[in-house]
Amino acid sequence: MTRKIAIIGAGPSGCYLAQALLKQDATVEIDIIDRLPVPFGLVRYGVAPDHQGTKAVSRQFARLFERQGVNFIGNLDICTGAHGGDISLDELRAIYDVVVLATGLSSDRKLGIAGEYLQGVVGSGVLTRAWNDHPDSEKAELPVPGKQLAIIGNGNVAMDVLRILSKQDHEYDGSDFGSHHAESIAAAKVERIEVIGRSPAGIAKFDPVMVKEIGKSAGLKFEIHDLDLGDASDAENPKIAALNGLAEIEPDETRCTISFRFGWSPVSFVGTDGNLTALHIARADGSETLELPCDMAVTAVGFSDDQRLGRMDLIDSAADLGNGRLDDGLYAAGWFRRGPQGTIPDNRSDSQVVAAAIAQDLANMPESNAPGREGLFARFDHLTDYAAWQRIDEHERASCAEGRLRNKLRTRRDMLKLALNVTETTQ
Amino acid sequence: MKINILYGTETGNSEMLCEDLESEFGDDHELEIMNLAEVDPADLDLSVFHVFVSSSYGDGELPASAKPFAEKLDNSDTDLAGLSFAIFGLGDSDYETFGQGSEQLADMLVKHNAQQVGPRVIHDAQGDDLAEDVAFPWFAERVAEAEAMSDAA
Repeated sequence: MTRKIAIIGAGPSGCYLAQALLKQDATVEIDIIDRLPVPFGLVRYGVAPDHQGTKAVSRQFARLFERQGVNFIGNLDICTGAHGGDISLDELRAIYDVVVLATGLSSDRKLGIAGEYLQGVVGSGVLTRAWNDHPDSEKAELPVPGKQLAIIGNGNVAMDVLRILSKQDHEYDGSDFGSHHAESIAAAKVERIEVIGRSPAGIAKFDPVMVKEIGKSAGLKFEIHDLDLGDASDAENPKIAALNGLAEIEPDETRCTISFRFGWSPVSFVGTDGNLTALHIARADGSETLELPCDMAVTAVGFSDDQRLGRMDLIDSAADLGNGRLDDGLYAAGWFRRGPQGTIPDNRSDSQVVAAAIAQDLANMPESNAPGREGLFARFDHLTDYAAWQRIDEHERASCAEGRLRNKLRTRRDMLKLALNVTETTQ
Repeated sequence: MKINILYGTETGNSEMLCEDLESEFGDDHELEIMNLAEVDPADLDLSVFHVFVSSSYGDGELPASAKPFAEKLDNSDTDLAGLSFAIFGLGDSDYETFGQGSEQLADMLVKHNAQQVGPRVIHDAQGDDLAEDVAFPWFAERVAEAEAMSDAA
């Protein structure tokens, strides 16, 4: 009897899970299902467009579909309760022996401070998805960068945002960053970026290599404040060393100044006529406050759940969350399981742990006649497959501008045209 | 010839390359593939030709699965005299620390008296070649050299 496994989410966690599960048990039939018509999730839509080396993991994932018999089912939205979607999680569980939730956490965590909804304030998730041409961004109204920007947060996502807002148009060769984005950022001629972190520099969340990379762009000058906080004076600390490296850069001509401030918390955004004009920050002990003028502010303070799969209830009632067991035949992996911490390699290890638990449980699972993918094909005619992705991939690579690797299709409509070979979709 | 292939990986790319080496050369040679995370340097069979495949991660660091091996080797006086090895790196030339993971590993093995066969070649994630397209001819050359050495001995 072939066990039918559905993994929800075709990003790194879901793909690593399929890879690890096949190593444990080569007889299982695995479908990786995604809400989008195309696979690879965060690798395509979250990893920065100028980090193609990081995106190289998608070769491993492509192999699942091209050689290892894993099936991709795209354009299927799975939800719980009143969230709509094509099919409920319970219905899906009735079709498969095992369902694994690996949809990540994509919503921006809010700061919960005054003015957060002013025009000009945007979450890093919304912003980077738009920069990566995620189809949900088609109608997103993004703030246009002005002369003075603020970034709140000190993690690697904040560093991605800082790098992209400070790089020049011609520095994107070999990337898949849309020219339309690069040109609009360049046109803004940003003069000052304030980067605000709550922790002292020595224990900031960024990786030193991410900070060093920012210094490679020409014409940037750096002000590093607050290095005297905590143990930050330790020059051996690689984070401090990376920041000191930036401070030593002396550009011939400064086009933009980047100011790092440590040990500050955001207090409020203030604006005029609904538009952001400044960010107020304060020391944790309230000893000092500062007003930073800015016309755009990016919050990069972590991610949270969009509630569409009822994650909190599933996590609260999980049978063995440490190994990904939520309920009989229902598992979670990656950020959906652990919360929003850890890199792509961390999720690889995570998926290996969950795959081992699934393989162990499969041995004791009663026989079933779960129809698997046939149950979906019988019900839906708008699903996309891996061959559809290959057509889209080929089109994107063939239609890109000089110096770019691909020109992403930006709407579901355009993807589905190529995917389903139809001129009008049924959606 | 018997060849042990040991990989250090963080994201799985090095592991995949080793699986490709097995598909390509497994019919002609007796290959054993191991994750460095599961290898103790003191247990290396010095009479067997070893091929290491290692990426770099973060700021030119060793990948996670190679770290315990490297730490054990570094903190021991394990003598690897007699061990012939070749080493292939995976890297990203966007970073000035390109290929330093495999470099660290190579230096450490040599320091413990192992003998490196042929050049350390690094596949560049920024280049147009696939890792296997660079690694296959490199591997064939290294194996030929190792065979010549064992014939001469």
